[in-house]
Amino acid sequence: MKRLRFHSASLAQINIRAASLLVPHSDRLEWTAEWNAELYHLCQCRPSHTPHADPLEFSLGAFRDAFWIRCNHLRSDGLPILKAGSPARCGLLLTTFAVIGFLACLCLPRARTALLPIHSFRPTDLVMISSASYAGAQLPTIPLENYQEWQTDTDKLFSQIAWYYPSAKNVYVSHQRTARLSIALASGNLFRVLGVPGPSAPGRSPNGASLILSRAAWRTWYHGDPNLVGRTANIDGQPVLIAAILPDNDGQLPGQMEAWLLEDQHALGQLPPKAKGFVFARIRGSAFPAPRGGIRVMTETRAGVTPCFECISVAWLARQPTSNFFFALLLASMALPATTALPLGDYRDRLALTVHARRWAFLAMKFLLVLAVVYPASIALAWGPSLAGSTAVFLQVATAFLALLFAFRWILQDQRRRCPECLRLLSNPARVGQASCNFLSWNGTELFCDRGHGLLHIPELATSWFSTQRWLCLDSSWLCLFPETRSPSPGMV
Amino acid sequence: MPVDAKLSHTAAMILQAIHAGHIYGFSVMQMTGLPSGTVYPAMRRLERDGLILSRWEQQSIADADQRPPRKYYRVTRTGKATLEAVYQRYPLLEKMIPSPQSALKVEQRV
Repeated sequence: MKRLRFHSASLAQINIRAASLLVPHSDRLEWTAEWNAELYHLCQCRPSHTPHADPLEFSLGAFRDAFWIRCNHLRSDGLPILKAGSPARCGLLLTTFAVIGFLACLCLPRARTALLPIHSFRPTDLVMISSASYAGAQLPTIPLENYQEWQTDTDKLFSQIAWYYPSAKNVYVSHQRTARLSIALASGNLFRVLGVPGPSAPGRSPNGASLILSRAAWRTWYHGDPNLVGRTANIDGQPVLIAAILPDNDGQLPGQMEAWLLEDQHALGQLPPKAKGFVFARIRGSAFPAPRGGIRVMTETRAGVTPCFECISVAWLARQPTSNFFFALLLASMALPATTALPLGDYRDRLALTVHARRWAFLAMKFLLVLAVVYPASIALAWGPSLAGSTAVFLQVATAFLALLFAFRWILQDQRRRCPECLRLLSNPARVGQASCNFLSWNGTELFCDRGHGLLHIPELATSWFSTQRWLCLDSSWLCLFPETRSPSPGMV
Repeated sequence: MPVDAKLSHTAAMILQAIHAGHIYGFSVMQMTGLPSGTVYPAMRRLERDGLILSRWEQQSIADADQRPPRKYYRVTRTGKATLEAVYQRYPLLEKMIPSPQSALKVEQRV
C-alpha cells in the first residue's frame, strides 16, 4: 500500500510540473512551491482520515488551477505577444505584413500569375518568340505573315510552332444573353505545342473550329454547367463546338484570354497579314546557340533586312519574378555594409549557449520574415498593374532592392537594441559621461532590460578599448529593482 | 469587489472555511469536501477580488519542522463584510462551517 502511494506521489509531482508549464513564467515559481507544499502535507496525512487523500487525484486539480491562472493572466494583462517590444509582437507584425502581401498578390491576376510558378512545368524546349524582347512576353508582337512564313521556313529550328491573336467577340451564352469575351483566334496545334493534354485539333463544327473555354469563363458565363462540353456556342453568329474546359493552370497565357477558338490555317488566313499575335514554338536544341539567361536569338534575312527575334524560354519566364527578387537580394546584401555597421556587439558576458542560439534564431527569423514580406509586395507592385514586361522587371528589382536594404538595416538596428536573454527591446536610454572627457573616461549611452537581465553600453565614439556596444549581465540580486520580475517567493513573509 | 457582491455557494463555502480557520488549501478541501481543482482556482478568484489575502509561512518555521513552507490565507475586512452579506443568502452556511465567533455566539444564546 505504501509502495502504491509512493508511486502515486511521484506521478503527482510529474503532473504538477507539467501543469506549471501552463502558468505564466512570472508566477510559476510561487505556484509550483504552493502545490508541492500542499502535496507534501497531503502525503503526510493518513489516507483513512481524509477524503481526496490520493496524491494523483489531488494533482489533477493543478491543471485546472494552472489553466485558470493562465486565463486570468491573459484577461488582466492582455496577450503578452501584444506587449510593445516583445519578440513575438515583432514576429507577428512581420507575419501580418507577409500575409497581406501574399493576399494582395492573389487578388491581382497578373501578380498571381507572376507569384505562382504555373509555367515552370511547361516543356523545357517551349519558347515564346518576340520581336520586342522581354516586353513581347506580355504584348502581341508577331504579325500573322511572319508566323505563316516560319511555318514552312523554320523546320530545322522548330519542331512545332503555334500562333494566336487576341480579340473580343460576342458569344451567345444562354437564353437571350450575350457576353463579350476575350477570345484568342489560335492555330489548331496551340495546346499541343504548349504541352497541354486535351482536344487541340479543330472539332466537328461546320466551319471546322472548336472552342476551348478557360475554367474562369466556364464558371462565370455558364455557371459551371457540367454538360457544356460537346454543345455548340454561337460566336458572332457562327456556331462553334465547345470542345473542352481548360484547367486554371493551363489557361494562364499572355493576353488574359477567356477562351481560345482553334481554327485551321485557312480560317486564320482571313485575318489581316499585319495582325499581331503571340507565337509559341518547340525548339530543336541543337539548332540554336546556348541560351543567355532564358533567351536565344533568332535572325532571318529577307530582302536584305535582318530582323532579330528573341526566343524566350517559357519555363525561364515563369521563374523571372523569383530571379529578379534574388538579384535584388544580392544587390541589397552587397550594399548593406556601406549603409550600416554589421557587428551586433559584444555579448560574451556569461551568456548560456541556448541564449546565444535563441538570439541568432530570432535574427534568422526576422530575415526570413522580411524576405516573405518583400517578395510578394515587390511582385504585387511591379506585376499587379498592367505594365510592359521590362518596366515591371525594373520596378520589381528597384522596389525589392530598396525595401530589402532598409529592412536589413532595421533588422540589425533592432537586434542591437534587444536584450539577448528575453529578446525584448531595451528601454530607458541614459547618457553617461561627458563628450569632452572622452579620452579620460567612458562616454556613451546605457540602456537596460525591464526584466533586469542586464545593461547595454553603447560608446559614443569607438575607441581601441571600447569599440563596439557591450552587454553587461546583472545577477539575481538586482531583480528586486525591476517591477516586472518582482514576485513574492516561497519563504518570504 | 463590492460588499453586496453575490458569491456562488461554493465560493461562499470556501470563504467561510478560511474564515473558520482553515487557512491553507488542503485544509479547505478537507473541510468542504471539494476537490483540489475547485478549491484552488476559487481561492485565487477570492484573492483577486480582495476577499482573502495570502502570505508565505516563514522559512525558519518550516525549516525547523523539516518541511516546505506553506501558503496561508486569511479573510480581509472586505471579505468579512461580504461574508456577512452572504449569510443572508445562504443561512445554513454558518451552521455548516461554524467560525469561532459564531460558535461563541451560539454558546452565549444557550
